[in-house]
Amino acid sequence: MLSIRLAWRNLWRNKRRTLITLLALAVNTAVLITTFALMDGYIENAVRYATDLLTGEAQIHANEYLEDHSLYKTIDNPDEIIAKAKSHGINASPRVYGFGLLSVGNKSAGVMFEGVNPELDKQAFTLHEHLQGDGRFVSNKADKGMVLGKKLAKTLNVKIGSEIIAVVQAADGSLGTDIYTVSGILKTAGEKLDRSTAICHIDDFRELFVMENAVHEIALNSFRGVELEEIKPLLGTTIDGLEFKTWRQLNPSLSQMVDMSHVGMGIFATIFFIVAGLGVMNTMLMATYDRIREFGILKAIGTSPMAIIRDILVEAMMMSVIAICIGFVLGLATSYYLSIHGIDMSGVGGDVTFAGIAFDPIWKAVIHPASFIEPMAMMCVISVLASIYPAVIAARLKPVEAMNHV
Amino acid sequence: MINTTSMKHIRLVKAGTILCLFLLAIAFQTATAQSSELTADEILDKVDDLYRGDSSQGTMTMTIKTEHWTRELTLEYWSLGKEKSLFRILAPKKEKGTATLKCDRDIWNYLPKVNRTIKLPSSMMSQSWMGSHFTNDDLVKESRFTDDYTFEKSFDGERDGQNIIEITCIPHEDAAVVWGKVIVIVEQDSFIPLEISYYDEDMELARTMRFSDVKDIGDRKLPVSMIVIPADKPDESTEVTYDEINFNVEIDEEFFSLRNLQDR
Repeated sequence: MLSIRLAWRNLWRNKRRTLITLLALAVNTAVLITTFALMDGYIENAVRYATDLLTGEAQIHANEYLEDHSLYKTIDNPDEIIAKAKSHGINASPRVYGFGLLSVGNKSAGVMFEGVNPELDKQAFTLHEHLQGDGRFVSNKADKGMVLGKKLAKTLNVKIGSEIIAVVQAADGSLGTDIYTVSGILKTAGEKLDRSTAICHIDDFRELFVMENAVHEIALNSFRGVELEEIKPLLGTTIDGLEFKTWRQLNPSLSQMVDMSHVGMGIFATIFFIVAGLGVMNTMLMATYDRIREFGILKAIGTSPMAIIRDILVEAMMMSVIAICIGFVLGLATSYYLSIHGIDMSGVGGDVTFAGIAFDPIWKAVIHPASFIEPMAMMCVISVLASIYPAVIAARLKPVEAMNHV
Repeated sequence: MINTTSMKHIRLVKAGTILCLFLLAIAFQTATAQSSELTADEILDKVDDLYRGDSSQGTMTMTIKTEHWTRELTLEYWSLGKEKSLFRILAPKKEKGTATLKCDRDIWNYLPKVNRTIKLPSSMMSQSWMGSHFTNDDLVKESRFTDDYTFEKSFDGERDGQNIIEITCIPHEDAAVVWGKVIVIVEQDSFIPLEISYYDEDMELARTMRFSDVKDIGDRKLPVSMIVIPADKPDESTEVTYDEINFNVEIDEEFFSLRNLQDR
């Protein structure tokens, strides 16, 4: 108790110096907390867009399907896989893909037709909410409705309700043609989707392409309810002979970006900690030199070097705890504000896309306990570590010399 | 994307174009007895010239074999010069009435099931499609051989018991041609085509076209059957057999209209 009271008194001997250091430490902590929260928000946003929109946490295809997207490389047991995934709380959406031509009047475009089971897709993904204006997603009943990518709709010059002609080469080599109605137009969702995707009901697709029961892809999404590494073992033997890929394998550039963000944050935080540490060391060093004579007397009357070190460390700890508390309040307030209002990035570059994924232009922070505890704990440890040097100097003073110090 | 029909049409038109070229070459050859003294450039240049303004009508059977399916189509076709042609599927039932109109560099398809005519986008022209052994560009290509290629008689004599002339065609550097090299083999005396090999830009064989079944059609001799084999899928092929060919038929430009594409 004595050392705490001593430390408190010592801290306020030079109010200005202590306050400046305190403030610097507090601001440091607050900035770190806010940055961590923003980075978490950014990464979470990226992962959410990469997975929840339509890619899923993982995908299953027939072997080598991804190499050439051949119409004939289908999954034999989709229902079994979907049932197995469901039993473990993983949403599964079966899909079929085929290349074809969409035409309206004089305008036509090559597109990738995507047949989905709307009921299952809505459970697993958020794409059905990613529509412009009053558009609708593909209805649960096959009614020849079609959802188009943003740029594709522009190329074809169509609106919701427009009639479009689909022309494809069916799986049996015959010519598949049909009339569809545009039911919805997607918001920006990445280059590939914007430019060339036309989504319809899986049954309509199968009729157009003459492919009964075919499934090319099963996209899985548990909304992070199941760890990424856990998914594959959970599916067991149902996916034997099939290709299983997590979103990190499907979109390596985004995966890398997420990893790089963590590294970047680490470097950023290290710099902050070093600056903070130097600040604390400076204050404590100055405080120590101020008190050389006192330490000399303390030693002369028999105080042990350890006691002196302890006193100085307690002093540093006290200062950092006060600073961190202030920093916590400041950082929490800023993060909370940014988690609600966010930073509007649309002014910077319009639609934000990276690695083929569209991002929400409002950059919001996410408050995780980890992004608070980490910088706070680190700041505390750094402050104490930075005080060891001044403390050791004080502890090793020779009483006579110290007392004669001017 | 191109539909099955137009792919077939493309194959047909391409086949038709080449066939016509050689038919005219033959016609030219019979007219000028010392034709074999002509250089490769001259032969094919004259073919190019002679080809223009010609018209034809006929029916053909096309058999397409791919890894996953085999089908046979019967078609009727009309052509006028190099610029205009029209194809209509007669069988099978599913595609009956489907028609393709090629007018200069544009391609339209009439789809009877949805009763609509669609225009093929220009971005699709240079692409090769799923299972297709031809590109759209094969259909619309109109430039002269000598505009795009440098010719050279690379062989003239006996090969495998047959007297042939081999002409190697190398595209000019600035020519809008997808091939790196085209080798044409014709019979020495008659100039009836035997084989045309297409090489890609890396000088790898891309596809081979073989002609067979030479018949007398009117006052001409020509191979009525041709087969195209993609080099990377030797088990696949598209074979075209002419069941009926009529040359210099009475046909005018109006025939090749979008209206006529649907009617009839």
